[in-house]
Amino acid sequence: MIELRGLTKRYGTTTAVDNLSFTVGAGHITGFLGPNGAGKTTTMRLILGLDNPTGGSVTVNGESYRDKRAPMHEVGALIDPSAVHGGRSAYYHLLWQAQAGGIHKSRVDDVLDMVGLADVAGKKVGGFSLGMRQRLGIGSAMLGDPPVLLFDEPVNGLDPEGIQWIRSMMKRFAEEGRTVFVSSHLMSEMEQTADHVLVVGRGQLIADLPMSEFTQRSALTHVRVVSPDAARLTPHLEAMGGVVKNGTRGELSVTGLDAGAIGAAAFERGIRLSELSSQRASLEAAFMELTHDSVEYRANETSKAGSSTAEETVRELTAEGAS
Amino acid sequence: MAATTVPAQHIIASRDPGFGAQLQSEWTKLRSVRSTWIVTGLAVGLSIGFSAAVALAMGLTFDSWGAVEQATFDPITNSLTGLLFSLILLIVVGVTAVTSEYSSGMISTTFMISPQRARVFAAKAILVGVIGLLIHAIAVPGMFLVSQLIYGSYGIPTVSITDTDATRFVVVVALVVPLSYTLISFSIAFLLRGTASAITASIGFMWLPFMLAPLLPAWIQQNVLRFLPDMANDSLSGLTPPGSLTYLSQTPAIMVVAIWLVGSLALAGFVLNRRDV
Ligand SMILES: Nc1ncnc2c1ncn2[C@@H]1O[C@H](COP(=O)(O)OP(=O)(O)O)[C@@H](O)[C@H]1O
Ligand SMILES: [Mg+2]
Repeated sequence: MIELRGLTKRYGTTTAVDNLSFTVGAGHITGFLGPNGAGKTTTMRLILGLDNPTGGSVTVNGESYRDKRAPMHEVGALIDPSAVHGGRSAYYHLLWQAQAGGIHKSRVDDVLDMVGLADVAGKKVGGFSLGMRQRLGIGSAMLGDPPVLLFDEPVNGLDPEGIQWIRSMMKRFAEEGRTVFVSSHLMSEMEQTADHVLVVGRGQLIADLPMSEFTQRSALTHVRVVSPDAARLTPHLEAMGGVVKNGTRGELSVTGLDAGAIGAAAFERGIRLSELSSQRASLEAAFMELTHDSVEYRANETSKAGSSTAEETVRELTAEGAS
Repeated sequence: MAATTVPAQHIIASRDPGFGAQLQSEWTKLRSVRSTWIVTGLAVGLSIGFSAAVALAMGLTFDSWGAVEQATFDPITNSLTGLLFSLILLIVVGVTAVTSEYSSGMISTTFMISPQRARVFAAKAILVGVIGLLIHAIAVPGMFLVSQLIYGSYGIPTVSITDTDATRFVVVVALVVPLSYTLISFSIAFLLRGTASAITASIGFMWLPFMLAPLLPAWIQQNVLRFLPDMANDSLSGLTPPGSLTYLSQTPAIMVVAIWLVGSLALAGFVLNRRDV
């Protein structure tokens, strides 16, 4: 179990992690979401005792990580798969870790098998692709067979096959009853794997909720209507109980009415429609709603330049094309 | 692929694998990269080879030297010209054992696996010190003996390694100098974390005083340079004669060397323990 209480980390004037409090409970996949620069990596480094908090505290299984002796059997983590010495073979890269953790070297071969690197065990890591390094990193994390796993953006930069592999591993670890804490800057990435979601923006916690609740919200739909006579249609839709948002060039976004009712209303009044379609609400919209309060809070509290709002956070999280 | 999850209790030797495991792990890191062996081999090979070449050059030209030059020829200090290489490579050993982990980012994995940073630091320091000792324990007597052999074959005055001055010189340079070079540069590496900066700083700190000493005012030589580790080494080995401005007698010289060693390790260990990785 990982517990953060008021955890804060400042680098000079940058507040990378701002008063974070949450608990990662046992036995499921928790997604840790936030746009680039939101403080995900820093949070993981603080959990692992690599960086010192400026304020607050974090414990792993009730104890500060720095107080542990050889915690490989408690926590396994993959922060940066490229952080390996290129001149060392995969076998030796895992062997020095096993030895430091007091783990028998036969486990190194088991782990190499598990991540599918047995054939290249003697090859230098410098020649490995990112996907192979990712496998090696997962192997490191699994050496101590830990019940808690931390992965920082594990699918970043991977090809589809690599992404598929990572997803299947995470699912498997969760099925084995392990706790998986995994970060991403893409909300869609979490949709398929996580049971619980934590959202951060500018180092602050924006949302902490079960995935089921999140998908319920994202199941909200709206109807997209485009009409040359949009202005005339709007009051009729509102009179029928719809909530209408006006876009440019006759675009309307309507909630509270289904497409059939809108089509009938337009037909009765002879209003021509050039488009009428039901839309599943975007993840963005779901999170906009979720974070509505914090948006207002932020708009009032932190209106200084460069400070992102929850809205921006959400926009970046859902901008799949961006990365 | 079958899920072969070995229950933790079967693979964990103990909850605290102890310092021996740390030493074993650090040794695996060192021996599993080629550069360790190359640097060690180069340090021994280049220093002995260079000393031999210089001794040969002296042998071939000795007859043409002036009478005063011939009479004052010192077969002890002249035999170790290869230190030029071994000392720099000792610095490389001390620095790269640390900075290769920082430049690759692997240092985070190291401290994630071993959160007791002092243990990692101590295990690394011991291994780096031992490698430095081994390099000079071979290279220094090697340079000395090969040079004497060559001097002898050209009729140049030689000295036996059992001669008191020769023994003192060889023992100090073989066993004390490598500890100060590897461990002080090791400490500097933990403080600076970059290979180039740490090597430059170490060479500057260990060598510049020796090079610049003759150019600096007497009071600086006497009150500053004299208390730097490599100058104290030179007093210990007999390279700096009594009466010289930078000379320290034996006991203070030993203390100066020890204080620099312990002090630099303590400072680096302290800083490492407090700061972000
Ligand atoms: N070592 C550091 N020194 C200075 N600033 C840092 C450091 N590490 C992270 N930051 C800053 O802290 C913020 C959070 O970074 P990070 O934790 O890497 O975010 P994420 O992983 O969510 O992309 C960023 O603004 C980043 O520039
Ligand atoms: Mg990151």
